[in-house]
Amino acid sequence: MSLIPVYRSRPSALHAARAGAGASLCGALALTGALYLHPLILSAALASVVLAGVLAGVGREIARSLRFALPFALLIAVINPLVYPEGDTLLIRGGEFLGRNIDITLEATAAGVLNGLRVIVIVTAFGLMSAAVDPDELLRMFRRVSYRSALTATLATRLVPVLARDATRMSDAARCRPQPPGRLAVARAALASALDRAVDVAAALEVRGYALGGRTARQARPWSRHDFRVAGAAVVIGVGAVVGAIAGVGSVEPYPSLQIETGGTEVVLSALLVLIALSPFAGRGARMGVAHA
Amino acid sequence: MREPLVVASGFGYRYPEAASPSLTDIDLEIEPGTFTVLAGVSGSGKSTLLRAFCGLVPHFHGGEATGSLTVGGLDVRDHGPGELAAVCGTVFQEPETQVVMGGVRAELELPLEHRGEPGGAVARAVEETALGLGVAHLLDRRTDTLSGGELQRVAIAAAMVHDPPLLVLDEATSQLDPVAGDELVWQLRRLNEDWGTAVVVAEHRLERCLPAADRVIAMVDGAIACDAPPGEFLEWAAAQSPAALATPAARLFSLAGLRPLPASVKDAHARLRAAPSAPTGDGPDAEVRRSRWRGLLHRNGGPAPALVLKDVWQEVEDGPVILRGVSLELRPGERVALMGRNGAGKSTMLRLAKGLDEPTRGRIERAGEVALLLQNPGDYLVHGHAVEDAGVAGVAAAGLAGREEANPRDLSGGERQRLALEVVLATDTVNAAVLLDEPTRGMDRIHKDALAARIRDLAEAGSAVMVATHDTEFAAALADRIVLLGQGVVIADGAPKEVLGGGRHFSTEVARVTNGAALLPEEGARLLGEAASLTAPAGELRAEARQ
Repeated sequence: MSLIPVYRSRPSALHAARAGAGASLCGALALTGALYLHPLILSAALASVVLAGVLAGVGREIARSLRFALPFALLIAVINPLVYPEGDTLLIRGGEFLGRNIDITLEATAAGVLNGLRVIVIVTAFGLMSAAVDPDELLRMFRRVSYRSALTATLATRLVPVLARDATRMSDAARCRPQPPGRLAVARAALASALDRAVDVAAALEVRGYALGGRTARQARPWSRHDFRVAGAAVVIGVGAVVGAIAGVGSVEPYPSLQIETGGTEVVLSALLVLIALSPFAGRGARMGVAHA
Repeated sequence: MREPLVVASGFGYRYPEAASPSLTDIDLEIEPGTFTVLAGVSGSGKSTLLRAFCGLVPHFHGGEATGSLTVGGLDVRDHGPGELAAVCGTVFQEPETQVVMGGVRAELELPLEHRGEPGGAVARAVEETALGLGVAHLLDRRTDTLSGGELQRVAIAAAMVHDPPLLVLDEATSQLDPVAGDELVWQLRRLNEDWGTAVVVAEHRLERCLPAADRVIAMVDGAIACDAPPGEFLEWAAAQSPAALATPAARLFSLAGLRPLPASVKDAHARLRAAPSAPTGDGPDAEVRRSRWRGLLHRNGGPAPALVLKDVWQEVEDGPVILRGVSLELRPGERVALMGRNGAGKSTMLRLAKGLDEPTRGRIERAGEVALLLQNPGDYLVHGHAVEDAGVAGVAAAGLAGREEANPRDLSGGERQRLALEVVLATDTVNAAVLLDEPTRGMDRIHKDALAARIRDLAEAGSAVMVATHDTEFAAALADRIVLLGQGVVIADGAPKEVLGGGRHFSTEVARVTNGAALLPEEGARLLGEAASLTAPAGELRAEARQ
């Protein structure tokens, strides 16, 4: 099973919203993770992503994203204190290696953990997007900007799982041979198979009229209540995150000694983040089908 | 009279760097609203001709074209596939790579977007096409969640969404199980009859398409060898040696000396109704009795089993149960056909038997090495020369002596299949069991016969052979035992006559014609001959044939 979530249509407010709105909400949560290193705000952002995923019916997919992100986060958490000896609070004196002092400090360790948490927030936010936002609709938006690039991205999205299945099949076939071939031979054959697939897809595109290069002017689609609610939440979170960061809310200074703002503003910002991120899923307006007045 | 949709005059084509032309001197006309079947063995030029109709030949593949070919009034040498797509929808063999978008609705919208159709027109065409072709329920599905049959139906909808007057299909059912293949053919009939679309379909399993066909074009070595209505085509095919293009029912009639040859089971029944003593298929015959005797022998000793599955379960985590307590024994020398619809658990059972996967419960005992040939033979051929993959002896055993240096990618599907089989058999000892998963997909009858002969050799050498297949004709010709899987359990296990003789779906065409009395044309012809010798009507039929 792939660790990267795959979009499936589901009855949720996030799935029902237009792709631009859904992607904006996920992007705003990822932006929050990128702008802040504050543990409370990062935790709130992560909680927002996980709860939004659960409410959108893609909890399993978010769990898979978490499993995907965790090794990277751990790597950062472990590597940072090993390679960055700054910080006043020495935890372990590790001696000298290749002319460098391997001293592990509380500040570098904390910075590593917080950066790891940041990676988790960003990866899971994109996991949520991957699981709950229709990639065709999203790429169609970009086709208006760059038709061929967006179509190429669409094809890649479509073909990556196909090629992954091809590679798995070839690996199984190698296990069935009395004398298994070398990995290089299998890799070369897998590459040739991918090229064959690419030629087949190119032929299919040709007979669907790709060379005509026409563009369809999209029909304006009326905004649904889900569109408004999800896009509204995205705008509020995105603008709030940027304004808060500029205003210095949730500032963290790891070095030389760890300083984390712990005022009420951070608590309020974190609470608002979770509430606003989950607001599209709340109330009667979030129900699928026709909302009754 | 309406203008023909396709007009070819002395059309020929040679692929780049090919020594000989793939099409020579093609003269034909295809009228609007007709259903044409393109027949021929592998490499006869069917695919190339269809690729010429849609402009891939010569624009996409390059090469050299001679003569003229116009489709919908457009000369294929002057107009590329994009322009020809307006008059010719195209569907290929491989379901996975002709659906290019992630969602079904987007897939149907794409051809119209390429034409710059306004948004309203796109939405309407998508809805109408989806409803008309029975894929409306798939519109909001992701394409990677569709079965092969569903993918092909979506590909047809995408090819037809802009309403071209001609639809060409290149072995579009070859990768599908029989149910999905039959559904696809019904869809084509509907397109042809309700929408008036001219359909040209290249197909190996002619019995599937002939009932719908107005005309059959048979190709031999890149040229048109026969262009006639189905009945006349069958006469022509029966006269060829080998009769590789004759349908089982036509071969049955031909061998029995009955005329005219039937294009469908319905035709055959109508003609046999004149012969009241036609075989009824009542009661078990000698083969069934032999099978029961063999079963008794197995239970009371006999040779030690080559492969034993004991209460084998395969349960996918967070997924379905694929096998539910399957128990099965294979004896040395047995030839077993494993049948069942898609998802019944056939491939899973073979993978477990080989040891590629472990069962979640139960036990598998192997008396020695087990060879497994998976579905895609190309996966086994990873080197640049055939000899590097299979060795000199393997290449010879595959019937490819003298082509040791050939690149496996340049071999035909049937040749690749035989070579891949030799790759998995390349051991010094006799395998206890040889397992093959869908080895006849996309194969013509000549290649199937060659494969069946090789499998018989393996069984005679002492291996137990089990072939997972949807091909009932192949199973009947090859196997001495049929195991039918359904919902992960064995629902039938017996002699071919016992399992395939009385089935509706899992039965051969000859079995349907003879009410289960015979599975294969030769056997059926013998029975018909015996019946005809006793009664006048069948004798009259034969007399008519002589006249």
